[in-house]
Amino acid sequence: MKTAQPKSNPNVIWSFLSSVKLTIVLLILLAVVSIVGTVIPQGQGAVEFAKTLSPAMFRFLSTLQLFDMYNAPWFRLLIAFLALNLVVCSINRFPSTWKRFSVKPAPDRSKPFENNTPEDCLEVSVAGDKASERVEKILESGYKNVRQKTSGANHYFYGDKGSLSYFGVYVVHLSVLLILVGGLMGSFFGFEAYVNILEGETTDQVIIRKTMRPLDLGFDVRCDKFSVDFYKTGAPKEFKSNLTFLVNGKAVRTSDLLVNHPVEFGGVTFYQASYGSVAGKEARLRIDRKSNKPVSSEKTVKGNISYPFPGGEGTFKVVDMRNDIMHLGPAVLISVKPKTGEALEFWVFKNHDMVQKKLPPPMLASPKFNPDAFSPYRFSLTGLKTVYYTGLQANRDPGVPVVWAGCFLMVSGLFVTFFMSHKRMWVRIIDQGEKAKIEVAGTTNKNPVGLQTELRHLMTNLQNEFHKKG
Amino acid sequence: MNNSLILSYTTFVYFGAFMAYLLGMVMNRAFLSRLGTYLSLLGIAAQTLAIILRWVETYEMGIGHAPLSNLYESLVFFSWTLMLLYLILEWRTKNRTVGTFVTPLVFLAMAYASFSPNISSQIQPLIPALKSNWLISHVITCFFGYAAFALSFGVSIMYLLKLLDTAEKNNRFLRLIPSAAILDDLNYQMIVIGFLMLTLGIITGAVWAHSAWGTYWSWDPKETWSLITWLVYASVIHTRLVRGWKGKKIAILSIAGFACVLFTYFGVNYLAGLHSYAKQ
Repeated sequence: MKTAQPKSNPNVIWSFLSSVKLTIVLLILLAVVSIVGTVIPQGQGAVEFAKTLSPAMFRFLSTLQLFDMYNAPWFRLLIAFLALNLVVCSINRFPSTWKRFSVKPAPDRSKPFENNTPEDCLEVSVAGDKASERVEKILESGYKNVRQKTSGANHYFYGDKGSLSYFGVYVVHLSVLLILVGGLMGSFFGFEAYVNILEGETTDQVIIRKTMRPLDLGFDVRCDKFSVDFYKTGAPKEFKSNLTFLVNGKAVRTSDLLVNHPVEFGGVTFYQASYGSVAGKEARLRIDRKSNKPVSSEKTVKGNISYPFPGGEGTFKVVDMRNDIMHLGPAVLISVKPKTGEALEFWVFKNHDMVQKKLPPPMLASPKFNPDAFSPYRFSLTGLKTVYYTGLQANRDPGVPVVWAGCFLMVSGLFVTFFMSHKRMWVRIIDQGEKAKIEVAGTTNKNPVGLQTELRHLMTNLQNEFHKKG
Repeated sequence: MNNSLILSYTTFVYFGAFMAYLLGMVMNRAFLSRLGTYLSLLGIAAQTLAIILRWVETYEMGIGHAPLSNLYESLVFFSWTLMLLYLILEWRTKNRTVGTFVTPLVFLAMAYASFSPNISSQIQPLIPALKSNWLISHVITCFFGYAAFALSFGVSIMYLLKLLDTAEKNNRFLRLIPSAAILDDLNYQMIVIGFLMLTLGIITGAVWAHSAWGTYWSWDPKETWSLITWLVYASVIHTRLVRGWKGKKIAILSIAGFACVLFTYFGVNYLAGLHSYAKQ
């Protein structure tokens, strides 16, 4: 059958946008430029990479926005162009598809029967009129658009199957648009943020990644506990945060947050992204007094609280606690206020011996790193309570359901387009007095093997009908 | 018996299958080609057993997970899907010549997994990011896609070779290759299956990424290369369905597409990204 020509439009722009050549050029162009972004590190990685470049090269690449390529206006324009091309192509081709879908072939066509084999023919001992009623019933149960034509005692039937498969390709195109729309919704109305919360602490703000600005959540999140489990091999097994969500200070929900198991609250989805540890608020110190009668005492001290020296020489307090400073391990900053003389501050490291070896001599000579700086005392750090913090990713993306709908439609549309075909079937009944000859034939837009299966299936149904019941 | 020992024996069985298919064609001996099929069946049976044993072993170690978690396991699974898909194709088309062009890929994947010094065959526990129900569906869809594209690649090579076949040349090897029309049809079918599977693989990956990292798409090199592959095959399908391209052009495009598949699978490991667990 002749298909209708696409409507010719004198508009040059329209015919340019509706060309499949353009589609292919755009698809290949998108593929090629996408490669660039996988070779040049993007986003955060770009900073390290940029340091290795010459200034001229750096200027060149950043002018082309190649350090954040996938968010660059020109890249998005390319995608928009593809979307436009897809819409125009679909509109342009729709009338001819519709025509193919809605055309109603005559039931008494003889051309489909031209290549018939004896397999496509069935002799029955029923008169043509009687046979016709039974054939019609069979066709009605398995096919759509069944139509009949009678000429004398001969009967002609047409029925088809899968005519909707012509629209599979439109479903695929629509799905691409939906996914793009979902992506745009996410970038306009959504955010990607992060926050680190210390165990036991509460926050009502997260930091937007793109702008590094804080965002009020409108509720509080408390990290009750963070735990990390390891396998025997030392590889991490599980990261888990126990979170409590509070509205107006009242705990509303408590959830365990794990990798791959996000938690949603108040329209924001939280993901377990990272973790770390910082010094807590308590340190354990040993204080030795060097004298004729050495005195040693060990105590747990809280930050920023003044404690008297055993001998009454003044007071000291811990003003800073660090889990790791200059890669030399845990340390505390001690501030001493003597009864007489000037106040002084110095760091006390937990790994004193290692520090002595690693620190350059000028620094060792400085009182800032001397635990004996306040004579006759010597400070040692024996313990530092560390506290975990959990690193949460906090996102909102209203486009996600739209993207999933697009994905679902894409798979369904592809399946229909690739694996379903329009099968047109003809049956003619030639009356031979007390007997009749039933012949079947068909055409298809694709998948001739599938058509043969369909013809055999119809033939089997007819045989069952007439041979079983006589 | 240790599963990776069975798998290294399987490598040799697949090499035997390749040699049998090849010699069967070169010497035009049907029984050699049939031997190729038997060896392939033996290989895939042993491989299936080894994969199951490996799976069971993870449970005995108390870290039960599907054996799809690192490069070794992925290569084993890739060769398994390719072999399976090829055997189905052989059974459906009743033609053994494709085996000559596909079994070397199966063998190479297994040899790379078993004998590369950079690839550890040890069972490792799953890191938290991989602990997801999406792992299995993501890997299975991706690898069936890769396998279909690999078959399409093999068929494309056959197509290009078949073009060299002329009556006066009377080359036995080339004459045994099925007709160009059959190969062209087969090529397109494989591309279509691969494209649908790749689409499913990308989607399951996106769903997984959304629950693990919070974004369904982050332009990580592996994601981007899978999209590049998708775009290349999308254009192959458009040239065929709308522009009516056939034969040689499609065969060349399919080979280019498979190069993208290989880069998505291996090349990306040399770029920084989120998929780093697939490297070792």
